[in-house]
Amino acid sequence: MEWKLFANLAETAGRKDIALDLDDDATVEDALEALFERHPDLQAEVYENGELAEHIRLLVDGTDPFATADGYETRLDADAELALFPPVSGG
Amino acid sequence: MTATVKPSALLWEHMHVLGVVGYSDTGKTTLLERLAERLAERGRVATIKHLHEFDIDVEGKDTDRHRAAGADRTYGITDDGEWFATGSDRTLRDALEDVAPEFDYALVEGFSGAAIPQVVIGERDHAGDAIATAPEADAVDVDDVVDALEQTEPFETLESLVWRVKDDPAAERAGAIATFTGQVRAKDGPEDDRTEHLAFEKYEGVAEQRLAGIEQDLESRDSVLSVELHHRTGTIEAGEDIVFVVVLAGHRTEAFEAVSDGIDRLKEDVPIFKKEITVEDSFWVHER
Repeated sequence: MEWKLFANLAETAGRKDIALDLDDDATVEDALEALFERHPDLQAEVYENGELAEHIRLLVDGTDPFATADGYETRLDADAELALFPPVSGG
Repeated sequence: MTATVKPSALLWEHMHVLGVVGYSDTGKTTLLERLAERLAERGRVATIKHLHEFDIDVEGKDTDRHRAAGADRTYGITDDGEWFATGSDRTLRDALEDVAPEFDYALVEGFSGAAIPQVVIGERDHAGDAIATAPEADAVDVDDVVDALEQTEPFETLESLVWRVKDDPAAERAGAIATFTGQVRAKDGPEDDRTEHLAFEKYEGVAEQRLAGIEQDLESRDSVLSVELHHRTGTIEAGEDIVFVVVLAGHRTEAFEAVSDGIDRLKEDVPIFKKEITVEDSFWVHER
């Protein structure tokens, strides 16, 4: 599976795409932990009180697992694409 | 502008732009000819050539005398409809904006400093994304370039989007076209630092999905017949256009409403991120 990072989050990590090799039954939470292990600075930027800050968006294959699946417990396919980004600011 | 005949099969195509860059005598023109021949089988092709000096319309011709007398633009037109134009103060962007509504492809020879998709010959410095590179022009596989070109972001203008909705089969029920154009504001107030440009980044794939979803939602409303949303990415200078919303509708009230809701939803839902570069500073806009 792969993380995609945007805007200031990509700048903090120093890269936009991060491939991870996780176990078959990995969840969103596992993917976040693996991401923070590699890029500890990111955790401070997106977490507040031990969970994702309200303004940070997380998508799994283009949809919000907190709205449509099991949030942190959502199971991930081996080829899942996860995205983490700040508030959108187009226009 | 008068209507131009487009092959009907191509009514829904967007214009793609491709530059061919390389040092002198590396075969750029021959490669451009090969590309033009191939692309002309698929749609209408416009070409634009960078000139080091102005070398058409030789001295003493009537058209040259018109220009010398102070005309900013001069057309030479034959009875058969062949023509050329000469003029002053034209940039590559101006020319692309002119051809975007009517053409499927614009091939650009030279202009290595332009931020457009490019075929790069012989390691020439270039400002756009290289969709193909080769040590010499003969080595370029035209089919590969055409495939890669179709994957690039189309060049859109307000005019090209308006043309597309006018071409919609439902247009005979339309009584209104309403549009919104967002552009880069240089200053928000007299004391504000001048914004030089904005840099937009998007979540490829998901952004297009969200835009298409908004278009479909709006098109499902009574009286709204066709909706086009387009957001440019990359670097956009002060005064240049960023985003367009174009709505074709039966009546003006629904058209204005759909335009307004369209831009609001785009700003709320579409994963696009804006960095502002002022004369003093640079920052991601959501952080302010």
